[in-house]
Amino acid sequence: MHVYLFQRFITAFLTLFGMSVVIFILLRLVPGNIVDILFSSAGFVNPAAKQEIAHELGLDQSIPVQYGRWLRDIARGDLGKSYRYDIPAWQVIKPRIPVTVELAFFALLIAVILGVPVGVLSAVRQDTATDYLLRTLSLAGLSMPSFWLGMVIILFLVSWFGWIPSMTYVSPFEDFKAHVLQFLFPALAVGYRSSALIMRITRSSMLDVLREDYIRTAWAKGQREWIVVFGHALRNAMLPVVTVIGIEFAFMIGGLVVTETVFNLPGVARYLVDAILWRDYPVVQNLVMFIAIVVVVANLTVDILYGWLDPRIRYGVR
Amino acid sequence: MNRPSWRLWVCALLAVFPVSVANSAETPKPGGILNATLLEAPPSFSIHDETTISAVWPAMPCYNNLVLFDPLKKQESLDTIIPELAEKWASQDGGKSLVFFLRKDVRWHDGQPFTSKDVKHTFDTIRETPDITSKLRVNPRKLWYENVESIEAPDAQTVIFRLKRPQPSLLLMLASGYSPIYPAHVPVAELRPKCLGTGPFKLKEYRQGELIEMVKNPDYFVKGRPYLDGIRYTIIKDRGTRYSALQAGRQDIAFIWEVAKTISETTKHAVPQLVLVETSTNVNDHIIVNFRRPMFKDPRIWKAINLAVDRKGYIQAGRQGAAIIGGILLPRPYGVWGLPEEEQRKLPGFGDPVKQKAEAKKLLAEAGYGPSNPLKFAVSTRAIPTYVDIASYVIDQLKQVGIEATLEQVETGVWHPKMSRGEFEVALNLTGIGPDDPDANFYENFRCGSIRNYPDYCNPEVDSLIEKESQTLDQKKRLALVREIDKRLQLEGARLMLGWSKEYVLMWPYVKNLVPHQSIYNYGRMQEVWLNK
Amino acid sequence: MNVSTAGSSVEPATTLRRHNLGENLFLFCREKPLGALAALLLLLMVLAAAFAETLATYDPIRTDAQHTLAPPDWAHWFGTDNLGRDIYSRIIYGARVSLAVGIASSFLGAVFGGIIGVISGYFGGWFDLMTQRIMDILQGLPLLVLAMVMAAALGPSIGNVIVAISVPIIPRAQRVIRGSVLAIREFAYIEAARALGIGHLAIAFRHILPNTVGPFIVLMTAQFGSAILVEAALSFLGLGVPEPYPSWGRMLSVSAAEFAQKAPWMVLFPGTAISLVVFASNLLGDAVRDKLDPRLRGA
Repeated sequence: MHVYLFQRFITAFLTLFGMSVVIFILLRLVPGNIVDILFSSAGFVNPAAKQEIAHELGLDQSIPVQYGRWLRDIARGDLGKSYRYDIPAWQVIKPRIPVTVELAFFALLIAVILGVPVGVLSAVRQDTATDYLLRTLSLAGLSMPSFWLGMVIILFLVSWFGWIPSMTYVSPFEDFKAHVLQFLFPALAVGYRSSALIMRITRSSMLDVLREDYIRTAWAKGQREWIVVFGHALRNAMLPVVTVIGIEFAFMIGGLVVTETVFNLPGVARYLVDAILWRDYPVVQNLVMFIAIVVVVANLTVDILYGWLDPRIRYGVR
Repeated sequence: MNRPSWRLWVCALLAVFPVSVANSAETPKPGGILNATLLEAPPSFSIHDETTISAVWPAMPCYNNLVLFDPLKKQESLDTIIPELAEKWASQDGGKSLVFFLRKDVRWHDGQPFTSKDVKHTFDTIRETPDITSKLRVNPRKLWYENVESIEAPDAQTVIFRLKRPQPSLLLMLASGYSPIYPAHVPVAELRPKCLGTGPFKLKEYRQGELIEMVKNPDYFVKGRPYLDGIRYTIIKDRGTRYSALQAGRQDIAFIWEVAKTISETTKHAVPQLVLVETSTNVNDHIIVNFRRPMFKDPRIWKAINLAVDRKGYIQAGRQGAAIIGGILLPRPYGVWGLPEEEQRKLPGFGDPVKQKAEAKKLLAEAGYGPSNPLKFAVSTRAIPTYVDIASYVIDQLKQVGIEATLEQVETGVWHPKMSRGEFEVALNLTGIGPDDPDANFYENFRCGSIRNYPDYCNPEVDSLIEKESQTLDQKKRLALVREIDKRLQLEGARLMLGWSKEYVLMWPYVKNLVPHQSIYNYGRMQEVWLNK
Repeated sequence: MNVSTAGSSVEPATTLRRHNLGENLFLFCREKPLGALAALLLLLMVLAAAFAETLATYDPIRTDAQHTLAPPDWAHWFGTDNLGRDIYSRIIYGARVSLAVGIASSFLGAVFGGIIGVISGYFGGWFDLMTQRIMDILQGLPLLVLAMVMAAALGPSIGNVIVAISVPIIPRAQRVIRGSVLAIREFAYIEAARALGIGHLAIAFRHILPNTVGPFIVLMTAQFGSAILVEAALSFLGLGVPEPYPSWGRMLSVSAAEFAQKAPWMVLFPGTAISLVVFASNLLGDAVRDKLDPRLRGA
């Protein structure tokens, strides 16, 4: 187990390091000088200000030095300055993090609550009408653009109930009910898609396990269906599912980006879109790095969980 | 008594007392928070640095002007100018000096007293005199004050504007929402991320890109104002969501611009008790060609572009009927200076669309373009739904005369600098002018070298004509001059005018005293607004 | 996700070899009717896009000020939008953009990923190790985020959008291909061929490559759906293919949402088009995968 963990940590660290290089290079792909773009987009007009920006960004130094500076800043927690808002980027990002985290959490929760039972049901009732119906619904979930789903939900709410959730962030301490409602619908929009994936994995994983000998034995012994299913099969089927949940987290970020835009939630993902559209490149760079860190940590957590769950790894059997 | 007569008594009573009933319903009640909507995050709070309503609307409650257009009067003019920081003013020296007598009891939000030094500082900074302490980043309206020779502050309550020559428009420009007074003791750069003024509201919180919250200024110099406890501006970029929010009661008033007639009508239809006010905006849509580019040195090209676009179609499709045709200045019935419709229709581009398109094709052929060698360029526009739509419409019109155009969408923050630097070929632009005034419009947009003169149009003859009208005191003579300039600018392609947009401001009926003016830039102070809830 | 472990106990995927192409297709239709249906649907869409000029009833960018926001009727089968443009024609032409971007980017991504996967899997060693780390890194960044940054950096044009979407696909593609290469590499007959002195290139072409066709097809159909969705999202956010050429994603942004209450057809048709194409692609992908390589089931 310890060897496994150690390996995983090293891999995660190296991956992050590599990601930083990729991100750094990506942003240098921008046609034209970053300084020029920032200079004009921030509304400056005098060249003296341009010199200032160049110096602030350290662009008057060589690339490796710039890269080193950037890494050092990130390690220190300095996410640079937003030229759009003229204040440190961290100040802009900090209040938005809990929003995105909460949305992601609820979406994942919905995805698991919807996906796992449906997957189990589908597997147990394989090739029946129920199975086909559920598989079609879940495939539909994978096929719909999540922003479209969000739009349709809002349209539906306004047309039928004359109501939409709050368009400004409502803190749970302020008004718990409004807060829940505010996050419910976007979480549904994002979660539906993730639930589809989880449902499919659960189903196929369950199918594999259900074929195993020890399950047949349990049947033969006359154990009741649900005990067999939940007691034995599910536990063993969960391993790949857990892995997928971790991976799905990364996939979900794309859905978060568009959903936060449609539902006007002030999260990190939406801020990324705004920063890109406003050409606030230093912020974009740091935000993407931030997202990368989150993804790697999530995967690492999943790996650790997997390691703990899978007895082969836990007890060091090769 | 038989029944009908008690009804008669009731009616009689009501007939006698309706005045008092109406009056008691109209006595302003203090309290409440106004939920207003913003289209986009303001580029900054520094009004003097900005050119967009997205900056002026949320920042106006924070500041005061020397003078202001009466918020309760829809039509703005010299007659509706009321005092704010200046109690009285007078014109001296045959119009070459404008003296303002300032209030004594005003404090900045940080407690410092307001004096004439602040006024001098503000306008010296805009004029970029050599002795200023901090510089504005952009300063788009520097030319508004070109005629000011110097500003004197002989004592704490007096300010004198010494002009090079008389300028009737100066007072109008000072009354616009674009002319707040800045504090002399705060560097201008600090007024970008936050506002610090003398106004009825103070900035309480700014959640970047999300929300601006203003709170009542308890020490405001007008006793009993403001009525509201605060204002919350929510930034909702998506127009559909904005209207859904209004419909659902989460917002009290929609944003006053970029409205789209259809949506406001649909919303009103769904919620009949909403109040819908039709008004003009003092914003016009037009096409500009970049005279810096070699392809536009040939006037046939931009003339062809002008002829290709059907103005009626622009109004119906691009603006859903919510626009009127007009020239360089706002036409009647909303404005005072614009060309009358019959004269505007005689200008190229406003005639029969079929004939015009044929003529455009001919011009292009003469210039060497045709089906085998089509003219190609990019049409840039702001990434706002209405403008993307209008630009799509224009591109379709251009296609019908054989021009292949593509659309380039540019975010607002990047738009103005990009235009100033001439980084475009053809642009679908819109310009709003603070007050309905020829000086403000001409100086800002058409003078050689103005930072807002995006096409880089320059004609010294027209410049001297502008100089002339600016100092003409006789109203009739001035009007004639202004109209002549209007026509010339259009004929020389300084702007290919499309139209002046109308807006449909929607708000809930309990929002009182928020009277839309014919210009969107001058009524955002919110001092008189109250909620009947 | 690839759940294949050491698969040397399974026969190489030579099921393709037993019948010729025609017979394979027939079997496919019979065994997987849904998949065949999906394939047909996709083919129809591609044909519609190819013959857009004939099938469309109007010029997609032609505005019509007299008939804005018209509900579906005989003149305009899917109604018109707020500029009076015919929605049906825009969907047909939009198919071009969406399908072209989808096919091009998933193909490019799959090809490049495939090549990297084959080389990496076959040669192994430190090259493999390095490549895998780099691929992990690229894959770690969420698809849409990476595509967004690339599209913004490169600028808005159809070519750039294709590149921007194909780059995130490369690591996902190479992982699948590499997996199957690894499996095949262990087979005895490969060893034998090497022993006989047959060159790497010959082995690669004659033995390895044909066996990757199955996974490749599965891969492409899987990624095609993703690519379309990413393009739609990019267009929705304003980073995709620029105006005035119609794109399904862009038809859903901006105006559609706001006029949705008055003219719901503006929102319903483009969204349905996207969903249908992706749905068909997913169905097809499932069917192909079931037939060709049951080991990959569950991925």
